[in-house]
Amino acid sequence: MSNVRSLRARVSIAVLVIVALVGVFVVRLVDLQIVQAKDLNAASYSQRSDVVTTFGNRGSIVDANGVVLAGSVLRYTITASPRFAAPFSRTDATTRAKAEVSVAEAAAELATATGQPQADILLALTSDPTSDYAVVAKSIDVDSYNAVRALKIPYLYYVAEQARTYPNGSVAGNIVGFVGSDGQAQAGTELKENACLAGKNGIESAQTGEDGVRLPGSTVQTQSAVNGGDVVLTLNSDLQYFAQQTLAQRVQQVGGESGTVVVTEVKTGKVLVAAEYPTVDPNNVDGTAAKFRGSQIFTSTFEPGSTFKAFTAAVLVDAGAATPETHVLAPYRYVAPGGAVIRDAGFHADTKWTLTGVLMDSSNTGISMLSEAMPAQQRWDYMKKFGLGAGSEVNFPGEESGDLKDPNNLDNQTMYNTTFGQGLTVTAIQMASVYQTIANGGVRMPVRLIEGCRAADGTMTEVPAAEGQPVISQTAANATVNMLESVVTKGYASSSLQIPGYRVSAKTGTAEMSDGNGAYGSLYLTSLAGMAPSDDPQYVVSVTIAKPVTIRSALAAAPVFQKVLSQVLKTYRVQPSTVPDPELPTTY
Amino acid sequence: MSLPAYQALSRPNAPHRRTEEAEGPATRRRWLQLAPEIISRRMRPSFAGSAVVIAGIGVITVAQLLLSIGLSDGAYEISSLQSSQKELARSTQALTEHTQILQSPQYLVQNAAALGMVANGNTVFLRLSDGAVLGQPSPAAASAPAVSGGLVPNVLVPPTSLAGAAATSSAAVVASAPVAPKTDPTLPWQGALPSPTTR
Repeated sequence: MSNVRSLRARVSIAVLVIVALVGVFVVRLVDLQIVQAKDLNAASYSQRSDVVTTFGNRGSIVDANGVVLAGSVLRYTITASPRFAAPFSRTDATTRAKAEVSVAEAAAELATATGQPQADILLALTSDPTSDYAVVAKSIDVDSYNAVRALKIPYLYYVAEQARTYPNGSVAGNIVGFVGSDGQAQAGTELKENACLAGKNGIESAQTGEDGVRLPGSTVQTQSAVNGGDVVLTLNSDLQYFAQQTLAQRVQQVGGESGTVVVTEVKTGKVLVAAEYPTVDPNNVDGTAAKFRGSQIFTSTFEPGSTFKAFTAAVLVDAGAATPETHVLAPYRYVAPGGAVIRDAGFHADTKWTLTGVLMDSSNTGISMLSEAMPAQQRWDYMKKFGLGAGSEVNFPGEESGDLKDPNNLDNQTMYNTTFGQGLTVTAIQMASVYQTIANGGVRMPVRLIEGCRAADGTMTEVPAAEGQPVISQTAANATVNMLESVVTKGYASSSLQIPGYRVSAKTGTAEMSDGNGAYGSLYLTSLAGMAPSDDPQYVVSVTIAKPVTIRSALAAAPVFQKVLSQVLKTYRVQPSTVPDPELPTTY
Repeated sequence: MSLPAYQALSRPNAPHRRTEEAEGPATRRRWLQLAPEIISRRMRPSFAGSAVVIAGIGVITVAQLLLSIGLSDGAYEISSLQSSQKELARSTQALTEHTQILQSPQYLVQNAAALGMVANGNTVFLRLSDGAVLGQPSPAAASAPAVSGGLVPNVLVPPTSLAGAAATSSAAVVASAPVAPKTDPTLPWQGALPSPTTR
């Protein structure tokens, strides 16, 4: 029996040992296969796989017709490992002849391929022979990159990077903006619409064989690359070019400092042209003074001067305080009841003008006297409804809102000055919007510079609102358009403004400009704003030229207005006017 | 066939087993006698069976081999296609970039000017309803404003581009161009209005 017992004991021990051993193995197995599995797999995978960043392209900025104004391109940075920079032998592809290429020869070849001085490249390759990193060339294009790769220099490395290109240069450069060398948006639409444009880089990993070929089925997208959307502007780049060219020429001709041209579509409030001089070339930002790298149209304010009389006349008519035929006996110098003294630009005897005549001859005294029929507060309410004193709907980076002072705390002189556009400031886009409202039967459309953000599948998002806001009555608006026509048919600049076949309404302006020290300087801001055709206004053109020297009146800006408006009418095939000019009386 | 062999396998000190055997040795023996015969018959190697198995294994191995050759061949093909796709995308991009620059107004103006073209800023309309000419027709000035470029800079446009070649070819074109027959401008047009023959 003791035999049996010892056998049983041995068996039990053996079983226990086996169970314990198996237990240990099971625990280890669970630990490896379940508890640590994730980490171990990851560690092993990272040993076997290559991780690659896939680029999500930054979207383009295009004009209304799809012309690319800003696009993304690949650029390459070539670096070298000077430690390995030594003569190497290269087999000629055609002759099969082997040739030894020294470092200096390689540098010479690189200089030819990249267009950089050979000395610089040689210096980079040889200055620190222990280094593993030296930049040979930065941001070279695909052609140069292919040329460099064809040299088969073994100690070079290539890094692809995204860069921005602006194929149309400074055409709408002020609006398009630019990105810095680090790829960060810095100005204009690039900055404003960065959220739409920016792509998201993806991460992709794959197992590769010894020769760098991916194993089939081993590619894993940790994060897929997402391309940015395209921003579609409302601009017409051809017109924009024409306007910039015409403006630049005129500003130089009259010795001016700067200028702007804004063209808007009356029915929609879309900005078709936002031209400026000077304009930044986004490919060469340093070539333009820092002051002019943004968009003056949105970011610079000025006292509008006489072009503002159109506003005063429109609101007087709308409020019933005047009609186009209202009489006024306007002197050259008018001393107002509150003590303010107003003068006209040139001496004249007391003149019997109608409101139309006041606009035609741009009489400061006349508009001041007529506007006494309306309380200042009411005029201010109208200004706000016209969008003055607040930034436009565009919300351009750095956009200014203009300065409307509080009418209750305003001295009598400034109060009168505001009727003819002095003593308050506006931006060029606000001025264009005022004329758009008058041209559109008194309905102010939100200013639109962007059609929207277009995704790869063609869907448009971020489309700005297009709901109009009635500001003045259609009768008052039409009356103002008719009054302004007299400026073109009979005013002092009429011969530079007329367009054969079309009725044009416009207003001249020669505003005094602040000299920066609280007084007015000797140079003016000349301007012209108007619309055509007057019987059914379709387009508004607004021109300003700051500080012209050779011509100091609105005649400086008039030819630009006429040429740009003609081009706009031709481009959009506007029907010539069929209804005759009402020829409102200007005197009585 | 041998009962002792069976007994030897059974445990020696298991009395109940022995009783079992004692109870019905005759029946058990008959059954046990049959079993080995069956087993041995089935155990006999069948040539056809093994041939099928070996052939199966062979086919599977070869298929596996071919599959993996195909896969790795595909991997190389994918890899080379991907790199050529990359290459092509790169050249597409370079060409697009180049085309866009060629389409830029600055480049067009520069070359139009080199060809001797001038813009006529003088707008004149012909009203079809009554044939009235709106505006004063006048020839474009040689240094017409709209094309004297350079005021809207674009550093991407090469300063020389086609200008040189265009200038010479334009001279050739001018020299060889047929002289248009002189027509009396006061004569009214006869017949249908001339229209382009583009299809």
